[in-house]
Amino acid sequence: MTTTQPLELLAPLAGVLLPLDQVPDPVFSSRLIGDGVCIDPTSQTLCAPLAGVISNIQDSGHAVSVTDDHGVQVLMHIGLDTVNLAGKGFTRLVEEGQRVVAGQPLIEFDADYIALNARSLLTLMLVVSGEPFALLAAATGLVEAGQPLLRVTPAIGAANDAEEEGDALFSKPLTLPNANGLHARPAAVLAQAAKGFKASICLHKQTQSANAKSLVAIMGLQTVRGDTLQVSAAGADAAAAIEALVALLAQGCGEAVAVVAEAIAPLSSATVLRGVCASPGSAFGHVVQVAEPELNVTEKGTGEPPERAALTRALQAAAQALQALQDKASGSAQAQIFGAHRELLEDPTLLEHAHGLLAQGKSAAFAWNSATLATAALFEQSGSPLLAERAADMADVGQRVLKLILGVQDGVWDLPEQAILIAEQLTPSQTASLDPAKVLGFITVAGGATSHVAILARALGLPAICGVPVQVLAIPDGTPVLLDADKGELHLEPAPGVIETLRAAREQQVVRHQRDVQQAGLAAITRDGHHIEVTANVASLQEVQQALALGAEGVGLLRSEFLYLDRNRAPSPQEQAQTYSAIAGVLGPERNLVVRTLDVGGDKPLAYVPMDSETNPFLGLRGIRLCLERPELLREQFRAILASAGLARLHIMLPMVSLLSELRQAREILEEQALALGLSELPKLGIMIEVPSAALMADVFAPHVDFFSIGTNDLTQYTLAMDRDHPRLASQADSFHPAVLRLIDTTVKAAHAHGKWVGVCGALASEALAVPMLIGLGVDELSVSVPLIPSIKATVRELDLADCQIIARQVLGLEEAGQVREALRLYHTATVETLPVVEH
Amino acid sequence: MFEKLQRAFWKALTPDLVAETPSTEPAADAMLAPAVLSALGGAANLKTQQRVALTRIRVQLQDPTLVDEIGLKAAGVTAVMVLAGGVVHLITGLS
Repeated sequence: MTTTQPLELLAPLAGVLLPLDQVPDPVFSSRLIGDGVCIDPTSQTLCAPLAGVISNIQDSGHAVSVTDDHGVQVLMHIGLDTVNLAGKGFTRLVEEGQRVVAGQPLIEFDADYIALNARSLLTLMLVVSGEPFALLAAATGLVEAGQPLLRVTPAIGAANDAEEEGDALFSKPLTLPNANGLHARPAAVLAQAAKGFKASICLHKQTQSANAKSLVAIMGLQTVRGDTLQVSAAGADAAAAIEALVALLAQGCGEAVAVVAEAIAPLSSATVLRGVCASPGSAFGHVVQVAEPELNVTEKGTGEPPERAALTRALQAAAQALQALQDKASGSAQAQIFGAHRELLEDPTLLEHAHGLLAQGKSAAFAWNSATLATAALFEQSGSPLLAERAADMADVGQRVLKLILGVQDGVWDLPEQAILIAEQLTPSQTASLDPAKVLGFITVAGGATSHVAILARALGLPAICGVPVQVLAIPDGTPVLLDADKGELHLEPAPGVIETLRAAREQQVVRHQRDVQQAGLAAITRDGHHIEVTANVASLQEVQQALALGAEGVGLLRSEFLYLDRNRAPSPQEQAQTYSAIAGVLGPERNLVVRTLDVGGDKPLAYVPMDSETNPFLGLRGIRLCLERPELLREQFRAILASAGLARLHIMLPMVSLLSELRQAREILEEQALALGLSELPKLGIMIEVPSAALMADVFAPHVDFFSIGTNDLTQYTLAMDRDHPRLASQADSFHPAVLRLIDTTVKAAHAHGKWVGVCGALASEALAVPMLIGLGVDELSVSVPLIPSIKATVRELDLADCQIIARQVLGLEEAGQVREALRLYHTATVETLPVVEH
Repeated sequence: MFEKLQRAFWKALTPDLVAETPSTEPAADAMLAPAVLSALGGAANLKTQQRVALTRIRVQLQDPTLVDEIGLKAAGVTAVMVLAGGVVHLITGLS
């Protein structure tokens, strides 16, 4: 500050003066935002009280601030609670950054509209930069627009705004709960709290950041509800500042917020926490809370060339590390995820963003961090749950590179034995680096059954639940817990007896699994000589090879959409034909290959099949509906599949069929293509039974198909009208429900009456508990996930068809899924008890 | 009459669906002192009146040119804002 010249502020409006103390809004009357005057306006144009630059004008037009060349900052706020008008009644006449002269009109407003629709028209003019002032008019009474109103004495030198340079601590990203964003009132509360700390504090929204001690700067972020914000602080009390401000933001900064923020409530007396099963199984172990270390990110770089080089090095190292993870991944799901991560590293928008910040002199760490946060936020705000889950992938890649830039050793966790990991969210990288010998399972607050973490957990064969209440994060390390992922439950105080039983069962399981794998080559024939075909659900050539090694008798479901999941454009016809032929060639002419045509839709989009978003994608253009809508896609796929005819026993399966006409149309296209290729023999054509209409009409469909395959996952959700990933409903959306079983029964009877076979390729077929029931209902083929092939085959070998038929009849008459499970458990116990006699 | 009965029935059956009819405005005469009313051109000139925005009485006049601002101020109205469409805001301050 170079001048102490007094500055006169002009009245921005004509009207009636009111002392600030009397303003019926505590944020203003308490001078939280700043001291100044209140005018009840009689004119409808707000004018600049001083010359300066528009430092902020709210999109909603109800507030504006002007800063002069000496740093005096004046905020004008028209009316009380006018933010709720969302801009209606206000016309902005100036832009942010524009230079204005004293008296220049800034905002026009419709006084009558505001009077009728907002709480009040009382307008505030506040000196937010804090300089002392004297009133040049009577404290109450009329003022004219443009009349000198306040004399401000600029301060000599600002004391409190010394920039604390140095390494900044960053908070975790948080979601803004305030309905209207951080407008004047909550912004003032936040700034006031921030001023209580010595540290220099910034509030970040994507790539923008604002001094958290400045009300106007916070308002300048133009935040809205749902924005992802981060607080950073540098200085002695940085950690305390972040903690306090994050808590304040989560609570709405003095505003009532609808969503109860994620304040961690103390653990109630409840000893069971519930979530959604992400990967089945159960385990007893000790809690290990996983928290990401906070990374110190310095904003300012040491010069553009070295920072650019640092980013390039880190990106290269990350790409190599991901390639290595991809190569040693134990399954194709894992490999695909790390492949996708590697692609994110090359994303042009992301890199452009980061390089833009480098060019502004920012550090490599800051530039990369900002770019990834912004991209993750874009994913999250896309409105698509699938894309939102990709935000976790983006954050994961972001952290990987950031650690490389900062030289932070990636935590090779020193885990105790029998660890049950608990985290807000586990990243795919973390999940893949787990030592399965030490980790018995994991629990996350975030994520759904479709998240990568869930997929990876299943690939690792670890029990996992997600969507667990946030209280789980408060469980102390080392607490003994029982994770029952099948039921989606975490037991905090398991009884010793229960633990012992589980431990014994687990040991038995290990022994049993080893035996099953050794005997995987044996056929799945029941004790009374009934053969069940056990085949594999696969999504790649690699999985087909694994499946055969584990004793699969064929492929019961090739999910063709997975072959090209990461593609931006459709694979060429030749490439498709090669893929199918390679898979068929591995299987050979004695084994079944069931290829399901593209099963995509609004719920599982494919990049090169663009489609409009639907309000209810599960009831929209999915599966065969989409294929018939775009017949060229189906024609091309049929041609590619038909190229493999003769190499294996080829079956083509149509997903989501609900009408006979869909089957007829598809068959026509298939016959047309077979004719064009000069094939003398058509492949077998079947449909998935996953819509209740198809199951109920199975007797009508049966003469027109060669086989049925039941997709129990979709059949369950459509029959019970429950979303399988719904956190509250998932436990009830159970395929063991008698309603689902009756539809399976109907389907099998209709098929057998016409001499057709029925398979089950849904998750129910992979559950050992369900096997006797499915066999008893007459199912001919079980197509199961690859790792479970040996155990399902072994289960079949323990059964007796006659017994299975009895248990199947019995469960059809039960009332609910729980009873069915219980009946099957009793049956299983009885069988297992008699088994040792048979085996030894 | 029938409609009223039906409405009452609906209300009883589905309390959430039928909104309460808003309570009628407070008696008009209490809001405007006789001197104010006459400075607005008399009761005949007054179409509507309503308390708004904590500090104001909003009136709609048949003929806004009949407003006597000096008379209003003499009658205790702090300020007057004449708006389009015969609307006038009488600023009376926080009550």
